[in-house]
Amino acid sequence: MIEPVCCVADRRREKVHQNIKMDLSWKVKDVQMRAVINQKLIETGEKERLKELLRNKLIECGWRDQLKAHCKDVVRRKGIEHVTVDDLVAELTPKGRELVPDDVKKELLQRIKAFLAQQASI
Amino acid sequence: MSFLTLKFPRIAGRIELENCISRPTMSLSGCPHVANFKAVNGSSPYRLILTYFVSCSTQAAVKRKAQSCLCHVCGQLDLRLHSCLYCVFFGCYTAGHIHDHAKATKHNLAVDLTYGAVYCYSCGDYVYDQEFEAIAKEEKTKAAKFVGTPCSVHAFLSWEVTASEAQLLRQNPKRRKITSNSTIGLRGLINLGNTCFMNCIVQALTHTPLLRDFFLADKHHCQMASSDQCLVCEMSRVFQEFYSGLRSVHIPYRLLHLVWTHARHLAGYEQQDAHEFFIAALDVLHRHCKGHNGVSGNNPHLCNCIIDQIFTGGLQSDVTCQSCRGISTTVDPFWDISLDLGPSGSHSKSTLSSSSTSSAPIPNADLSVDSNSSGSSTSSGSVNNGDSGLLSPTGFEDVPTSLDDCLRRFTRPEHLGTNSKIKCSRCHSYQESTKQLTMKKLPLVACFHLKRFEHSNRFRKKISTFIAFPHELDMTPYVSSHRRANGIKNQSHSSTLLSTSDNKYSLFAVVNHHGTIETGHYTCYVRQHKDQWFKCDDALITKSSVQDVLHSEGYLLFYHKRILEYE
Ligand SMILES: [Zn+2]
Ligand SMILES: [Zn+2]
Ligand SMILES: [Zn+2]
Ligand SMILES: [Zn+2]
Ligand SMILES: [Zn+2]
Ligand SMILES: [Zn+2]
Repeated sequence: MIEPVCCVADRRREKVHQNIKMDLSWKVKDVQMRAVINQKLIETGEKERLKELLRNKLIECGWRDQLKAHCKDVVRRKGIEHVTVDDLVAELTPKGRELVPDDVKKELLQRIKAFLAQQASI
Repeated sequence: MSFLTLKFPRIAGRIELENCISRPTMSLSGCPHVANFKAVNGSSPYRLILTYFVSCSTQAAVKRKAQSCLCHVCGQLDLRLHSCLYCVFFGCYTAGHIHDHAKATKHNLAVDLTYGAVYCYSCGDYVYDQEFEAIAKEEKTKAAKFVGTPCSVHAFLSWEVTASEAQLLRQNPKRRKITSNSTIGLRGLINLGNTCFMNCIVQALTHTPLLRDFFLADKHHCQMASSDQCLVCEMSRVFQEFYSGLRSVHIPYRLLHLVWTHARHLAGYEQQDAHEFFIAALDVLHRHCKGHNGVSGNNPHLCNCIIDQIFTGGLQSDVTCQSCRGISTTVDPFWDISLDLGPSGSHSKSTLSSSSTSSAPIPNADLSVDSNSSGSSTSSGSVNNGDSGLLSPTGFEDVPTSLDDCLRRFTRPEHLGTNSKIKCSRCHSYQESTKQLTMKKLPLVACFHLKRFEHSNRFRKKISTFIAFPHELDMTPYVSSHRRANGIKNQSHSSTLLSTSDNKYSLFAVVNHHGTIETGHYTCYVRQHKDQWFKCDDALITKSSVQDVLHSEGYLLFYHKRILEYE
């Protein structure tokens, strides 16, 4: 027997819907997960330590100086009277992200992974 | 990771409020709206928000922060969360939820919950109120103490301009920006009659990054009775001259005069040895840092003057008794490492001799005998195997051809021979022994002296063989823990013990000797702006390349550590 096309289409639609549903529930889970992790990071003080680590690393590798120089350029170009923090954020964010050295990202990621592993084992 | 977004807040759309009057300038005067707020509510709401949600210094506050820091509209936690200063409503900045709240309630001040900065909706920007800033600083310090962040670099870089510094800056309005093609820092030096040996050392010292930072930051506080007798003060002036931006030739006659007065064996117009001058200069500088003129009796190893902070390393000597395997260990400070170039076993007895005799102020340092403390490394008769393994590797047995060869030879165990039996402190008898030198403490600047001049009773000659030296040097193989562990056991487990990145060095100056031992001339290559090289030949400075440098003969090689640890 050959299945009617409409049934196949229905099944397909069903499947797509299922997938979307799964995807949605995964997203919800992701949000919940992020909230839990964030809470743990703050509670244990790990977040502050990571921030300090990142700050130090960025200073050490010259990132901070580079960004500061760039900030000064923007302020000089626009004039101190005509620049807001939002302007600076808008101009500097892409540059700032791009300039973070890979090994700094890697080190931080490792620290976060290690933290999560340790939390999971508790 | 979402964490990164904390550092780099995303772009936010600006909302226009009807009462948006003027764009503020970023100053510490705050704005009238903050002033109004403080007049009615005081500054305690600000402090409360800070202590509970920004800079927590109690466990209860941390807990509360962890649970409640999310947007009251969308539940997100990392879209630049802000709190309303009036009613402690939390909303995202990036998604505009805090803006909506401000618009709806006319609550025009919000606190950034990551940094504690205050945003004024009437002004349309962050505002900086002196009193709020002071509170933020106070709470931040408290929180840092509570979290116990181990070491912060902030201690090393916060420069708050003092009144006198501000005054100086105002009096000297000219500013110089160092660009990548700037020649600031380069100056030729007049030859005052065979003084090229001094000129090349001055060039090397003025291009030592840490020394430059020290002097340009005006860190020398003179301890000498009169400052014009102080070589450190003179160095300070030389640095000023070098970095003044002037391009004319500098005449270092005061420096020469001071060295002559304080290191009498160098006085006179004959050609001197650049290495000897270098060590003598460090010694005088070290003495003058401490404010004394005569021979320094104190152990430079324990000295914290800038010279010792930068140049002093610790050389460990392990003497192993062949009878009982007991090891007696001593650590001696050094300023430089003299490396033999001739065939091994000829007359290269003690490789340390040159550095310890020329750097006069070094008495024997902390002598400690640890015959049983390092039990793991003295295990059984394997030392011999390790020794022979190191004594006869291929290649450099006769003549070294690279700096690594020299260093391997320098740090390998050496049989002291039957004629020089040493009394063993463990078995209390005179026994044959082996001796091994390793780096206990690496200096920040490592100076290698290639012993190109051979002096003996009958002849003096120069060894001109090519010794390859690298641009980047890893000292890990010569570090005590690594070297001894490797010599005794197989290589695998020891290397995991230490991170190798901490022992990497970069070349920044090379002193060369040209000609013969009788009539010679010294020149120096120095590095500028990380990767540009210049050749300094007394008054003449020419652009050069790293290839030129690496192909030069090399007499003194200066390397600096790539990564500095915090104290
Ligand atoms: Zn409010
Ligand atoms: Zn939100
Ligand atoms: Zn305002
Ligand atoms: Zn002085
Ligand atoms: Zn000293
Ligand atoms: Zn013994």
